[in-house]
Amino acid sequence: MVTLGPVDDTASAAVVTEQGDLRRKIAVPWMRLISLASVVTVMTLWYVSTEYGWILPIFLPKPATVWQEAQGAFAGGLLLTDVWMSSKRVFLGFALAGIVAIPLGVAMAIWAPAKAILDPFVSLLRPLPSITWIPLTMLWLGIGESQKVAIVFMGSWIYILLYTYESTKRVDPLLIRAARNLGARDIDVMYEVIFPGALPGIITGLKVTLAISWSCVLSAEMVAAQNGLGAMIWQAKDWGNLALVLVGMLSISITVLVADQVANRIERLLLPWERDRHQ
Amino acid sequence: MHPILSAEHVTKVFAAGRGDPVVAVDDLSVDINEGEFVCLLGASGCGKSTMLNMFAGFTQPTNGTVCLRGTPITSIEPRCGMVFQSYALFPWKTVRGNVEFGLKVRRVSKDVRRERAQQFIDMVKLTGFEDHYPTELSGGMQQRVTLARLLANDPEVLLMDEPFAALDAMTRQVMQEELLRIHDANRKTTVFITHSIDEALILSNRIVVMSARPGRVKAILPNDLPSPRHVDVQLSPEYADLKRQIWQLVESEVRHHDETNN
Ligand SMILES: Nc1ncnc2c1ncn2[C@@H]1O[C@H](COP(=O)(O)OP(=O)(O)OP(=O)(O)O)[C@@H](O)[C@H]1O
Ligand SMILES: [Mg+2]
Repeated sequence: MVTLGPVDDTASAAVVTEQGDLRRKIAVPWMRLISLASVVTVMTLWYVSTEYGWILPIFLPKPATVWQEAQGAFAGGLLLTDVWMSSKRVFLGFALAGIVAIPLGVAMAIWAPAKAILDPFVSLLRPLPSITWIPLTMLWLGIGESQKVAIVFMGSWIYILLYTYESTKRVDPLLIRAARNLGARDIDVMYEVIFPGALPGIITGLKVTLAISWSCVLSAEMVAAQNGLGAMIWQAKDWGNLALVLVGMLSISITVLVADQVANRIERLLLPWERDRHQ
Repeated sequence: MHPILSAEHVTKVFAAGRGDPVVAVDDLSVDINEGEFVCLLGASGCGKSTMLNMFAGFTQPTNGTVCLRGTPITSIEPRCGMVFQSYALFPWKTVRGNVEFGLKVRRVSKDVRRERAQQFIDMVKLTGFEDHYPTELSGGMQQRVTLARLLANDPEVLLMDEPFAALDAMTRQVMQEELLRIHDANRKTTVFITHSIDEALILSNRIVVMSARPGRVKAILPNDLPSPRHVDVQLSPEYADLKRQIWQLVESEVRHHDETNN
């Protein structure tokens, strides 16, 4: 529990900075300070409790041990390779899921038969966590890269589909009416109104799904992989190297946070008309 | 002279989800001539928007016909351009993108549509705001964009559903003057919905007073006040007479409406 302290704290700090309103502007300096204080407190507790032996190293290593382990993993280049391998799998599976699910989601929203065809499968597949696909994908694809990508894909596409469907459905019918009144044909309504109208919701869905994709790849790597962050944590556990496990967990947090930042940048680029909402 | 827009014995019934069907418009007939500025005046809920939506082809009458130049309107009719009460601007398009929209979907070349859009942006005095998004504009500015968007598309009839209702008194007056100036310049047939007797008196050539639900034509009054209708006209006895006359027509309807609702 204690080890999760710093990770949890970064997450809540991110939430605070995303509330875009006037209150935020006043509250931010204070909230930053409180966040910092809470991190320092937890780190101090960690340091003190391990230094004075209140918690044994086999349950929680010292901060200094973790730091050394991190330097070692970083210097050998192994850590970066793992980050890179996991990122690549996430990116491929996620991109594939988007390519498949976004058009399907739009189709479901604007063409009732498409919804009728897909609905039963969506209902059946949605409750399945991505790990339940591990046996089948291993049988079909072995334990190579494509199997990891498939797990990410299976865990991601339905969420993208549902977000796309919902946000396409919710495009203001008055705007469609206005477009037709100005002489727009079906194709214009599609490209000029429905798609841009649904885009903010689709991008929100992609951002949420990106985090899900990450958890998919990690569970896939824990079960069967030579490299990647999930495999690294699992192997470190087998060697009894708890410090390395913590380094792996921290790397996951940082990588996902960086990916989130990149996604936010891309969102701002794609939705210039919502820029006042993003400030 | 043939009317450009006509409603012949139009009835519109909405099938309500629960309860009785609503008769929004009942056996309404009206002819609108080319170049006229007609104001539709009536209590809230009397079917004014419903009528305008039928002229634009958004909904079809349950009985009777609405015609544009003698042919029934059966689907969305781009020749009858609409200004919506709630603006209905595309949030993802800039002022220029919104104004260019009608030309773009008719595949007008980029240079031509840019030039035409600019002309109407200048006309509604939004020069310098071409690259702003609608959310960055005030309500009055947004309403001017809808006007420019409509005019750049050059429809044959302008349909306006309480376009100035959400504006403050001062902006509204400026907009009214602007609209009159535009109407004087291009003589476009205009059907304009309003709650305000003064607005109807200032803008129209003819005022159609509708009865409370179900909407029927209560009276049609020609408005021959001299234009431009500045303050001196608004203080003239003729103006006061016409206003009193309309107020009496509307008052009985509003009271009647209140009673049926209570
Ligand atoms: N789509 C619809 N479905 C069901 N009933 C409707 C629908 N549209 C309008 N009505 C009903 O028809 C009647 C007339 O509505 P309409 O919007 O035309 O009134 P209005 O004169 O424009 O009122 P306001 O001045 O308040 O805008 C109302 O009683 C309304 O409840
Ligand atoms: Mg209305």
